[in-house]
Amino acid sequence: MKHALRNPLCWGLTLLVLINMYVIVYYAPVEKTMGLVQKVFYFHVASAWVGLLALTVVFGASLSYLWKRTSRSNHLALASAEIGTVFISCTLLTGPLWAYPIWNTWWTWDPRLTTTLVLWFMYAAYIALQGGGASEVRRRLAAVYGIICFVNVPLVFFSARWWRSIHPVVISSQGMALEPPMRAAMFFSVGVFSLLYIYLLQLRLKALDLEERVQRLKAELFV
Amino acid sequence: MAEFWRRIWILYRKDLLEEFRSMDHLWSTVVFGTMLVFVFSFAVQLADVSTRQVFPAVLWVSIFFLSVVALQRSFAKEKESAVMDALLLACGERSLLFYGKFLFSFTLLLLLEAVVVPLFWIFLDVDGAGVNLGLFAAAVLAGSWGLAAVGTLLNGITSQLPSARLLFPILAFPLLIPLLIGVVLCTQGALAGQGRSTMGWLYLVFVFDLLFTILPLVLFDYILEG
Repeated sequence: MKHALRNPLCWGLTLLVLINMYVIVYYAPVEKTMGLVQKVFYFHVASAWVGLLALTVVFGASLSYLWKRTSRSNHLALASAEIGTVFISCTLLTGPLWAYPIWNTWWTWDPRLTTTLVLWFMYAAYIALQGGGASEVRRRLAAVYGIICFVNVPLVFFSARWWRSIHPVVISSQGMALEPPMRAAMFFSVGVFSLLYIYLLQLRLKALDLEERVQRLKAELFV
Repeated sequence: MAEFWRRIWILYRKDLLEEFRSMDHLWSTVVFGTMLVFVFSFAVQLADVSTRQVFPAVLWVSIFFLSVVALQRSFAKEKESAVMDALLLACGERSLLFYGKFLFSFTLLLLLEAVVVPLFWIFLDVDGAGVNLGLFAAAVLAGSWGLAAVGTLLNGITSQLPSARLLFPILAFPLLIPLLIGVVLCTQGALAGQGRSTMGWLYLVFVFDLLFTILPLVLFDYILEG
């Protein structure tokens, strides 16, 4: 709590999130045909973006771990995967909220939906493999898996897209031509969510570093 | 180059010999495969749906489960008898070990499929008329290749962790999604007697196979180090 009060990033973010809510609710106009439910879009897109960003960070940190073997890069990969899972879950939860009234179904095998779901499973598997990042072996193996996952994502996306474009597409997301105020609101939301990701990443990284330090001190004391 | 292939061949023969000498693992896997056929066919019959339509999905889901059981052991044997270091010393290069194990897993899968696929064909009562058998065989071959490659790669990972049995399918299935889409649609096309219009899916499976046959060349050193 003390940390949160002292950190300017925390204050700034609180303010930004409030402004973001204001922008989404009042500044962005209400969509003519979809109505209020379209507002979920600003949360949905922003968290999907952070989910992809986090996976890229996992990939980069995994490469760096195999290269340099610092516990810092392992912590970065683990923290990013954990936060990414939260955001991807948000995407998967907000999607159906919008899809049910608009598409008249909770779920469809659209390439983006399929890829997001597979992404969630990959994150889950990655975290299970890390097992808290306790041992050197687990860290190394998780780094390898993180790289494989990242390489696999385009293959998942294109196979799903191809599958759906060969068959007639009954339900699809229409090519969105966004009104300028809506576009502004979306980019603002994406920006705020990215900052939120960075803040959470920083917190989690600190926690992981401290955890490791505690373990080391314990080992030194009780040998 | 010839030396490279010769060493892979020796590793491959060693695994085959070992497997056929004891037979007990192979036998239980075959029994498990036939049971999968029985359970799935029975459930499909009860649900009263068109068996020809569900054949591709049921076949490939069974092969996926079967491969989880069959491929789990490729590195576990060495781990159990603690001869991993000796094996690594003997073969010299780590990626070599991957290709030896991969070929063994591929052979094992093909053997199991030789039992399971005809059984499914009979139990689900698939009509053979107008089926593109060449495409079907290609789908089974290419699908098994990809399964064996991903399975061997991930088995290298899980065999190093204590009590990581459950981890293997969790790690494998998300990676196998493109393969699953490809082979199921390929099988469906083959059953409908299509040729050229489904070839694209076969190429997708080829790309997947290629990726996971080349990736270990770079990554397998990191998996087995230490």
